[in-house]
Amino acid sequence: MTVDALAVSPAGEERTARIVVLRLTARRAIRSAVVWGYVFGVTVASAALSYTSIYKTAPERRQLARSFGANRAASALFGPAPKLQTVAGFTVFKVSMTLMVVGAVWGLLTSTRLLRGDEEAGRWELLTSGLTTKGGAAAQALGGLVAAASVLWVVTALVTVVVGRSSSVRIDAPAGLYFALALVASALMFLAVGALTSQLVPSRRTAAGYAAVVLGLSYGVRMVGDSGSGLHCLVWASPLGWVEALRPLTDPRPWALAPIGGFTAALVLAAVVLASRRDVGAGTWSGRNSRAPRLRLLSGPGALALRLSGPSVLWWAVASALSGLLVGIVAKAAGTTIVGSSVHKVFARLGAPGTGTRAFLGVTFVILAVAVAFEAASQLSAAREEEADGRLDHLLANTVGRRRWLAGRLSVGTAGLLVSALAAAGCAWLGAASQGAGVGAGSVLAAGLNMVAPAFFLLGVGALALGLWPAGAVAVVYVVLGWSALIELVGGFFAQNHWVLDTSVFHQMAAAPAVGPDWRTDGVLGALGLVSMALGAAGIGRRDLRAG
Amino acid sequence: MGARGDGGPAIRTAGLSKRYGEVWALADLDLEVAPGEVLGYLGPNGAGKTTTIRLLLGLARASGGRAEIFGVDCQRRPVEAHRRVASVPGEANLWPGLTGAETLHLLGRVHGRVDEAYRDELIERFALDPAQKVRAYSRGNRQKVLLIGALQTRADVLILDEPTSGLDPLMELTFRTAIREARDRGQSVFLSSHVLSEVEALCDRVAILRAGRLIESGTLRAMRHLSAVTVDVTFAGAVPDVSGVEGVDAVVVDGQALRCQVRGSIEPLLGVLATAGVTRLLSREPSLEELFLARYGQRDDGAGVPGVDG
Repeated sequence: MTVDALAVSPAGEERTARIVVLRLTARRAIRSAVVWGYVFGVTVASAALSYTSIYKTAPERRQLARSFGANRAASALFGPAPKLQTVAGFTVFKVSMTLMVVGAVWGLLTSTRLLRGDEEAGRWELLTSGLTTKGGAAAQALGGLVAAASVLWVVTALVTVVVGRSSSVRIDAPAGLYFALALVASALMFLAVGALTSQLVPSRRTAAGYAAVVLGLSYGVRMVGDSGSGLHCLVWASPLGWVEALRPLTDPRPWALAPIGGFTAALVLAAVVLASRRDVGAGTWSGRNSRAPRLRLLSGPGALALRLSGPSVLWWAVASALSGLLVGIVAKAAGTTIVGSSVHKVFARLGAPGTGTRAFLGVTFVILAVAVAFEAASQLSAAREEEADGRLDHLLANTVGRRRWLAGRLSVGTAGLLVSALAAAGCAWLGAASQGAGVGAGSVLAAGLNMVAPAFFLLGVGALALGLWPAGAVAVVYVVLGWSALIELVGGFFAQNHWVLDTSVFHQMAAAPAVGPDWRTDGVLGALGLVSMALGAAGIGRRDLRAG
Repeated sequence: MGARGDGGPAIRTAGLSKRYGEVWALADLDLEVAPGEVLGYLGPNGAGKTTTIRLLLGLARASGGRAEIFGVDCQRRPVEAHRRVASVPGEANLWPGLTGAETLHLLGRVHGRVDEAYRDELIERFALDPAQKVRAYSRGNRQKVLLIGALQTRADVLILDEPTSGLDPLMELTFRTAIREARDRGQSVFLSSHVLSEVEALCDRVAILRAGRLIESGTLRAMRHLSAVTVDVTFAGAVPDVSGVEGVDAVVVDGQALRCQVRGSIEPLLGVLATAGVTRLLSREPSLEELFLARYGQRDDGAGVPGVDG
């Protein structure tokens, strides 16, 4: 920024200074947009090309369309599946929902980081003291984020169009551009959601948490709408439902862009208005700034970790419980349609053989396990933040040892994972029981416990990274999580190479309750997690504390 | 109240060093702070002051040497060493969602010892509203929380990194009073600061650091004695040429006024002046600022500091 600003002529100086926030935000967001655009494109390409190699003949393709096309379980999880006998139709079905969710997560993390995160770190005060206003700076930052979303679209579209030219795939350029637009639409909407929650609350993590709750509800509401339970109109109540309604490559309905554009514009406008009306550093919902002291949970590092992480643990638990309940309610209806060899095959590849409620729960629990692992990543990044912001200095300069601090953080994190996983499983059982699905509480709860293993392992990986490479610890955790989730959810459809699949930590867990939990593997994951934690603790004892 | 020590120094470093990559942020630091002593720790930005403090607090790992607090190794047994230490870190945020009172409670609990009556007194003296959340505090108020947090423990050793940054002049006086009280109670204070007037007012001894090396250490009185004296002379007639006189340096002539620095004995200069028709003669010892600036400007590593014999 500084170099660019210095390079302009005096006449252009003021103009440059007026858009400095836009340029800065765009530059920082575009870096990751390019990477994710590439990942999106490659995912689309691999789906399209693998389809042509796995389902070679027309009868095979028709068989796939028959068994999957009307499948409620598949539709609840991944969205409706029209025209599976075509490469285009299959590719859309295969990648859309996963990339939509990944894009939304990217969007909400990016906007909360660049808006609220910068403000929390005090950088916003510098920026708004320049030639702009509070609202103006927010508008510029949002402009930068929209520019990044455009880059995400351009890169995704480029790869899609190139792959579309392949003679076996044959997706023409306009259709490819439209498909890429549909894939990026949720990222755009959740950039706006994150921008709005960044105005509401004064902490980045809380802002990201609220935005994640909106995403979770969007997914859940859409899932109920798509599960064939007679509530199809519900998809219109969910932003992810609008993206689905675009129906790229199969039955394009560009008018569904209207609610997407309207929603995004409304949130952007609201964010700018709220930003101009509040103090820098505060949130619209900051609440009172003074209160009588609440001295509970301030006695030491563990108690403090519980106090600081308590609200987010609670939010994760509530969100997991709600997701579990929704999954449970639709499980029976969705599970009855898991018939036909192709569906079997795919579900079996995801680790959940058989039919019925259990098979459906088995697959959904793998997805819930990704969410629980997300909580582990979030807890780890909170620990790293405490060090990077220098708050940890106050504890360690007193009579708190490093290992004791880390142990407190990891214990609270582990407890959070257990609570979320069991809340999800317990509510899934309640939902399923309410529909008379006839699955036992014990086996569902055991499946819930089973979900903890990968998340605990991830927490261990994070602790190890924190001990050895603090500056990169958060990135390590999210890369392991993102890779594992992508491989398990997208790769599971093809299962061509078990070496690739085995790199996903979620692929190691059994898809309980479709099958019994594999306690031995869980034990190995748990032990590896523990060993990593111990190594991380040793590492953290030997290194310097590192700021930002 | 006398010294609380067990005979040994409150803080002792021997050959303490810290390297970041190729750069020695601190090299071979030998330093002692006696019980009940206030040491001013000075140096330009990047000289290694904060590094020293982070080594003493066990936040950074030493590349060599030892650091001890009352004989306990700060690097190997930080928790034990810290039982007798309270500190104000230089660059540290507090928990934005906790109020001032909650923060002080937490800092007291993790230290292990709090004089609650004294804490309440400090809150009043520093005019802090403890019911406010840290998020709502100004920078100065956050600094007050940190200061009270350290002082409330009545720890034997106070390690303070730029403790008055952000404080208004009135609060700075309150801080000085509190530090003098601490010294009178026998507490040792390690005070890293850029506010030279503050160091001059509070410190028994001063240590000056440059480029990771200790270039000067001693009492202010001794440093002044060994340093150059500034002499201002006004003449009735022509200004004599004093540039060749023994010990005279930095001669500036402005009309009939002359200013110069004199190191060592002033007698040779007086010999010249005696016959020159002096109407006014003023000599004064250097302020700490002048002492400090004189050492800033040097190009060498501190060996053979002009005007200071060791």
